[in-house]
Amino acid sequence: MRYWEIFWTASLLVSGGAFAFITVVVIWKGGPDLRQMLRQLRKQNLQN
Amino acid sequence: MSFTILDWVIVITYLAGSLTVGLLGKKYLGDVSHYLVAGRELGLYVGIATLAATEIGTITFMYNAELGYRFGFAAFAAAMISGVVMIFVGRTGFIISRFRQLKLMTVPEYFEVRYSRGLRLVTGILVALGGILNMGVFLKIEGEFLTIVSGIPARYLVAVMTGILLLELLYTVAGGMVSVVITDFFQYALLSIATILVTIYSVHFVGWGNIVHKVTVTMGAAGFSPIASPKFGWTFLAWQILLWLSIVTCWQTTAMRIFSTRSPEISKRVMTWTGFIFLGRGMLPMLWGIAALALFGSGVLDKGVPLPMVHGHALAPIDAMPAMLAQILGPGVRGIVVAGMLAATMSVNSSYLLGWSAVISQDVVLPLRRIMGKQQLSSRGQLVVNRVANLFVSLFLMFWGLYYTPPGAVYLYLNITGTIFLAGAFVSVVGGLYWKRAGTLGGYLAMLMGAAGAIIPFFFLHWNENVTGFAAFGLAAVGFCAGSLIGRPTSPNREGMLATGGLKELR
Repeated sequence: MRYWEIFWTASLLVSGGAFAFITVVVIWKGGPDLRQMLRQLRKQNLQN
Repeated sequence: MSFTILDWVIVITYLAGSLTVGLLGKKYLGDVSHYLVAGRELGLYVGIATLAATEIGTITFMYNAELGYRFGFAAFAAAMISGVVMIFVGRTGFIISRFRQLKLMTVPEYFEVRYSRGLRLVTGILVALGGILNMGVFLKIEGEFLTIVSGIPARYLVAVMTGILLLELLYTVAGGMVSVVITDFFQYALLSIATILVTIYSVHFVGWGNIVHKVTVTMGAAGFSPIASPKFGWTFLAWQILLWLSIVTCWQTTAMRIFSTRSPEISKRVMTWTGFIFLGRGMLPMLWGIAALALFGSGVLDKGVPLPMVHGHALAPIDAMPAMLAQILGPGVRGIVVAGMLAATMSVNSSYLLGWSAVISQDVVLPLRRIMGKQQLSSRGQLVVNRVANLFVSLFLMFWGLYYTPPGAVYLYLNITGTIFLAGAFVSVVGGLYWKRAGTLGGYLAMLMGAAGAIIPFFFLHWNENVTGFAAFGLAAVGFCAGSLIGRPTSPNREGMLATGGLKELR
């Protein structure tokens, strides 16, 4: 039981840390990514 | 009423902003591929945001918290499997790379490419049926969360949920996947902040030592070890691995994000990074549920776990987590958290509305028209069919979702309704992509035996979920192999379609 407790505690810390880190990166870099997507869609519409 | 004016201002500002941003998507809409797969222009970061937001809703928080409350840390095994399977699929490109190369818009579309139009139709019907029934329980459970946390009287539940559904419907019908992706990005940011806030508050308020102690004294070893837990065990773990492999590859709303990425390489990276988010998507709300057990778990035993007691009233285990939030969050923070949960709700519901209505229009209505010898619809005509399907799915959800209550743990109910079509679809897709002998008869048998393997044992024989899920995948595999060996192998027209740059003749 003790090993499971240690394992889940470590897993929780890694998961929570990864969740927070990826959230920050996605919010930071997602804006330019979204603008590029909309530019490409506009371009596709002009070509059609 | 637990909400202050500040909380209301935060929530209403969020709702107005979300609707405005969502409606902006309409001006970027050109043809049906924009409506369903955002013109296949999703980059890495927006891809991660929309995939995560699509699969993280208030319903996800509720059922994961319920699992944590009922089964303690042992429930973490389910979250671990979902994340690790996603990372595996992302790293290897198993199924998703081939899917993305084929330039599909829906999962059943693959069944016409590889097998036959008839099998696409059968798969489309089963996918739509299983998917909509699965989504059918969302509204009621999400409504329960909102009424408990915000303190809105339960008699307003139907009106509140109908209002939220209408908001989602407005921008989803107007801008399709483009609107959904734009709103998903902002909703992902908000729901993630809420997730982190609730986790910090839960651990700080209840205390890590109390959380571990409560699980130890209530459940013993079964609260930590998924092998020792009577509800889980090896069959559960094996079924979960199969189920998550099928969900991340064949679940329509997940697959639509893969179809929408700029390239197969980006689809793999999106899947890998979202896998890490999925670890937290499961474990963090499970932790909230365990914290709620430590805080309120003092009632009479129900299936070995004490019912939550709040202000002298016994609640259902699924309602313990929102009751805890109503108690521990202060003014302002509660508004941010509820706005975050609304964001989660709207991102999931809008994506699911789009996903299931896409299957109805592209894989049921359009193939039926061709089978009946009717003229192919133009891109504009397909858009209209998609929007009408959206409306019908919403109407069904309003009536079914608000009045139906699922039996037992919601997570397991959702797993079984998903298995109805996932077992057959997954086996047929794997066979179709990686086995030359695969044939249409095998595909039919896999879909039908997989569905029967989920429905009959669970709803009529009342077997437990683990054995039912395992049986469904087993029967689908047996049916697929037997049918493929007995019938004639079907030649895939995939290569020719890849050479011509996609499935142009189908659109």
